[in-house]
Amino acid sequence: MDVWRFEAIGTVWEIETARPLTAGEREAIGETVEDFDHIWSRFRDDSLVTALAAEPQEVPTPPDAVAMLDLYRALSDATGGAVQPLVGDSLVARGYDAGYSLQDHGTRPAPRDWTELLAWDDGALELFAPALVDVGAIGKGRLVDVVHDLLGALGHVEHLVDAGGDLRRRGGPVRVGLEHPFDATRAIGVAVVTDAALCGSAANRRAWPGLHGGLHHVLDARTGEPVRAIAATWAIAGEAMLADAAATALFFDGGAEFAAQFGVEWVRMTTAGVVEWSAGSRMEVFA
Amino acid sequence: MKLSTPVRHGSALAGIAGTLLLAGCAAEASSAETTKDTTPPQSTATPSATSGSSSSTGESGAVYKDGTYTADGSYQTPETVEKISVSITVHDDAVTAVEVTGDPQAAETKHYQGQFIGGISAQVVGKKLDDISVSRVSGSSLTSKGFTQALDAIRTEAKR
Repeated sequence: MDVWRFEAIGTVWEIETARPLTAGEREAIGETVEDFDHIWSRFRDDSLVTALAAEPQEVPTPPDAVAMLDLYRALSDATGGAVQPLVGDSLVARGYDAGYSLQDHGTRPAPRDWTELLAWDDGALELFAPALVDVGAIGKGRLVDVVHDLLGALGHVEHLVDAGGDLRRRGGPVRVGLEHPFDATRAIGVAVVTDAALCGSAANRRAWPGLHGGLHHVLDARTGEPVRAIAATWAIAGEAMLADAAATALFFDGGAEFAAQFGVEWVRMTTAGVVEWSAGSRMEVFA
Repeated sequence: MKLSTPVRHGSALAGIAGTLLLAGCAAEASSAETTKDTTPPQSTATPSATSGSSSSTGESGAVYKDGTYTADGSYQTPETVEKISVSITVHDDAVTAVEVTGDPQAAETKHYQGQFIGGISAQVVGKKLDDISVSRVSGSSLTSKGFTQALDAIRTEAKR
């Protein structure tokens, strides 16, 4: 397999293909990633979500919006509103802002009635009040799917797209170690991924000191506080967006139900070191 | 995780054996190549086996001396630094037990068990990545350059 490595949307990407990517193909992938980032990145001052936050308005529905927001509705329903896409201002309040200030200004719960403030269909996306959209729970997974589909459209039949540990495989089995959240030299288990996606989320991945204890990027939108119970999650699904969504949901009550509803296999570790897993045969825990 | 010097030796562990869990790493290490043959969860291992094996002395050639190593959680956990401490027990160059002290779960969720949980295991030590055959790793080790630089900056700030 040929490997192409690059950095984009704040993480390291590796794309493995049986046939080496041509220069034109790399360019097409780069443009696809850039287009997605240009719409959804709240870390860019020229993105659509930044423009919406500055001035609530109606815009033509961008690609991926319907798929992601429909899934966010299911995520929000399953987790009692803990996971939702208007959590951007909550993250900014804790210091996870466009400039990575990491300066904690305290809790800022996201608007509970987010489905009243945001409307979308095939034609238009409209925000009715100032709010910062953050698709962090599923956006990277979605982009992995988009790149995966692009590779298929380009005629590749065996490939792997890995965006910093969130990956989708077309082809035979790939063994992926589930990194121990307290010790990066160890794995708590192994996932075997065949024609499927694996996504993980770890509370120690993006963590920084706050006013009253450590902070990280998985906030409960209802309170603006980081999750304290779960240290890391992994999920396997057919599509990376769904695996990504489940990996986030599994930090909260309702996450296991969400996974069962969508047929997602998973493993998670609590901050006390306890490991739980779903039924299924694609992940082994070294218990 | 950086390991500090042993804070106490294996023979002293018997007193807290009840809180330790045997992960069976020592037994599995020699069969690491047979990764296709998945090892079933070793839930039958008993804590008493841990204390029984902890009395032997260190051997030459081991990378780590036998004993218990303690590391603070620092930023690795979502909890505060003060609240988490992880102790790892090493015997014959294999981790045989891990203990997390403190009260890390000021949990917003209480019901861990439920019909959607397929299995549960107390404190999983895991295996060394070097000892298992994987082509990729999914976890926290890959963090963006921008975030890492920002974190370094505020750490430097804090020291001034």
